Amino acid sequence: MSEPTITPDLMRISWGPQHPMSGQTRILLDVDGEKVHKIIADLGFTHRGIEKILENRSFLQGIVPIERMVMIDTANIGLGYVMAIEESLGIEVPERAHWIRSLVCELSRISSHLYAFGLQAESTGYFPAVFLWTTTDRTVLLDLMEELTGARFSYNFFLPGGVMKDLTEGFEDRVIEGVQYLRKRFEDYWTAMIENIVFEARCNDVAVLKPEDAIRLGATGPVLRGSGISIDVRKDEPYAAYGDLDFEVITESACDSMARTKVRYREIGQSLNMMEQVANEIPGGPIRTRFPLFTRSKPGEVYSRVETGRGEMGIHMFTAVGMNPYRVKINSPTLRNMYVFERLCELDEMLMADVPVVINSIDPWYLDSDR
Amino acid sequence: MSEAELVEAITTSHAEQIESAEVLRSQRVSVVVKREVFLEVAEALRDEYGFKTPSAAGGLDYPKEERMQMIYYLFNPDSKITLTLRVDLPRDDPTLPTLTGVWEAMSFHEREAHEMFGIEFEGHPNMIPLLMPPDWRGGYPLRKDFKGEAGEE
Amino acid sequence: MAEESCELKRSLDWVPGSGAVYSVVDYVAGWARKYSIWPIHLVTGCCGPEFMQTSGVQYDMERLGILPFASVRQCDCIMVVGVVSRKMALRVKYLYEQMGEPKYVVSVGACPTGRGPFYDSYAAVPVDEYVPVDVYIPGCPPRPEAIIQGMMILQEKIKNTKRIGVKSE
Repeated sequence: MSEPTITPDLMRISWGPQHPMSGQTRILLDVDGEKVHKIIADLGFTHRGIEKILENRSFLQGIVPIERMVMIDTANIGLGYVMAIEESLGIEVPERAHWIRSLVCELSRISSHLYAFGLQAESTGYFPAVFLWTTTDRTVLLDLMEELTGARFSYNFFLPGGVMKDLTEGFEDRVIEGVQYLRKRFEDYWTAMIENIVFEARCNDVAVLKPEDAIRLGATGPVLRGSGISIDVRKDEPYAAYGDLDFEVITESACDSMARTKVRYREIGQSLNMMEQVANEIPGGPIRTRFPLFTRSKPGEVYSRVETGRGEMGIHMFTAVGMNPYRVKINSPTLRNMYVFERLCELDEMLMADVPVVINSIDPWYLDSDR
Repeated sequence: MSEAELVEAITTSHAEQIESAEVLRSQRVSVVVKREVFLEVAEALRDEYGFKTPSAAGGLDYPKEERMQMIYYLFNPDSKITLTLRVDLPRDDPTLPTLTGVWEAMSFHEREAHEMFGIEFEGHPNMIPLLMPPDWRGGYPLRKDFKGEAGEE
Repeated sequence: MAEESCELKRSLDWVPGSGAVYSVVDYVAGWARKYSIWPIHLVTGCCGPEFMQTSGVQYDMERLGILPFASVRQCDCIMVVGVVSRKMALRVKYLYEQMGEPKYVVSVGACPTGRGPFYDSYAAVPVDEYVPVDVYIPGCPPRPEAIIQGMMILQEKIKNTKRIGVKSE
C-alpha cells in the first residue's frame, strides 16, 4: 500500500498482522514518545471476495461461504442472509422456527461476547486465566449446539423457510441447566475481572467516544450502546421471535472502554434470560415450510438487517431472473467500527499501551470487515 | 416522521434534484439523485432529515444497461429509517464527487468501491487500496465482466 | 546441511562406538524436541475459534508441549489456521523465512490446503504455493481432535528426524 506521508518528529510503528493483539490486520501508529497521534488501519489480510463468490452460488449454496464471515457468530450472520432470501422469494416461516432461530442466535451471541471478553482480559495483560475461563464456558454452548445442529461452529442450520432440525428430546432442560451454570460463572467474571483494580485502571476513561461522535462516525453495536445510545435492530425492527421475547437494550453512559466491556457483560445476561424464555415458552408446530431446491427469482431487491454480536449487519440482495443472487452487498459492523478506531486517537488522548485495550474494546473480527 | 411523509417531503422540496423517491417497505426508503446535485441533497438529508449515521456504501454494475449505481446507506437514529441514496453513473465515466465532506466515515466505503468497481471519487483525501493487495493487477473484481485472477490483465 | 552432518559423522567414524553415541543423542534430542513445539500465533482465517478451543482448557494442547507463542524468532512451527489471502500469503512467507531452522508448517483446515469453500475466490490461495507444508489437517473447521492428531503426526515426524536440524523426508 502506498502509505500516507508521516509528519516529521513522529515515529511510525507497524503493528501486526501476526501480533496476537492486533488480529489479522496491520495498524500503523504514528507516535510521539508514548502518545499516539494517528492510527491507520491496513485491512484486507483476510479478504476472500465473499460478495463475488455469492454471485456464483445458488441461494442455498450461499449459506456456507457467508457463515465463514464470522466463525464465532455464525448463526446471526447466516440468519441475515436467510432472511434476505425469504423476503425476496416470499417464503413464510412457521412460528416454532422463529423461536428456535432466536435460541440459536442468542447462543451464538454469548459465544461471540465471551471471545471479546477473553481478549479484553488478555489485552490488559493481567488475566490470561479469564481467557481460559471463556474457552471452558464456551464448551457448554458448543455442546448444546453440537447436540442441536451437529456442528460446533459452522452450523448451516438455518434454511429459507425454517430451520433444519427440531429440538432434540429434553433439549429445553439442558438449555436451562446450561443457563444456570453460566449465570453462576458470570458472577465470578464480575468480581475477578470487571471489579478488579488493575482492569479498572487500564479501562476506565480510556478512549472516550462521545455520543455525538459515535453517531457521526457510524459506530454500531456495543460500541454505540457503550456511548449511551439505545439502538438495537432486535428492538427497532424485530425479526425472528424478538418481538415476543422480553429483553431490554443495554446502554452505558460512561462512553469509555470499560463501558463497552460492561455492555457486553450485561448483554450476556439478557441473552441468558432470553434463552430461558425460549426454553420455557416455545410454541409447538412445524419447523419449516417447503423450500424448492432449485428456485428461480424475480428481479427485485431486499435489504435485511440483523444485530450480530458486533453490531448491525445489513445484507442488500439484488435478484434478477435466475438461480443466483445478482449481487449481495454485505454491510459489516467491523468495518464501521474500525473507522471509529482510526479516529479515536484524535478524539481522546491515547497512549501506546492503550492500543490493545482500545482495539479489543471495539471487538473487531477482521474476516467480517474484509469479507 | 413516517416513511411516506419523508418521501413526500423529499419529493416536494427537492423536486428538481432527484430522479425518484420511493418506500421499499417499512423502514426502507430509496432516493435516486442526479449526479450534478448529489452533494446538496446529501447535505440536506443530514441536516434537515436527520440521517446522521452513515452505515455503508457500495456499488452495483449493470453492464447491459451501460450504467453503474453507487449506493450509500444512511440511518436515522431517531426514526430508525434506513435510506439508500443512489446515484446512477455511466459505465464509461464513473466519477463522483466524494461524500467524505458530508459523512467522514464514508471514506472506507468509498475506498472499497473504488477498488472493487473502479468508481473515481473526486476530492477523496486518502484514496489508497483498502482490501486488495497493493500489487493487484487483476482489474475490478465486483464488475460483472471480471473474469480470472490476479496477474491477468 | 544434510551433507555437512554426514561429513561430520564420516570424520568421526574412526572413533570406536561413535555410531551408537550418535544414535542415542539423536534419540534423546528427538524425544525432547518432539515435546517442545512452539507454533506461532498466526490465525489467518476462520478456523481460529477451533484453534482457540484446542489450546483452551478442555483439549489443552499444552499437555503435548505445544504452546502458541507470539514472536516468530522463538518459534519453530507455523500453524496456518484458516484461509490465506493473497495479501496474507506474503506475510506467511516472510514469517517462514524469519524463523530459525528446523522449522515446520502445519496447514489447519480446508482453506490453506486447497481453498476449501472459497474454491472459486479470486483472493484466496493455497498456502503450499508459498511455503512447504509438513502436515495437512482437513476439516472446515477441523475438530480439536483432528488438530491434535495432526500435531501428533508432526511430533512423530520430528522424532524420526535422523540428524538434528535436518528434516526427515
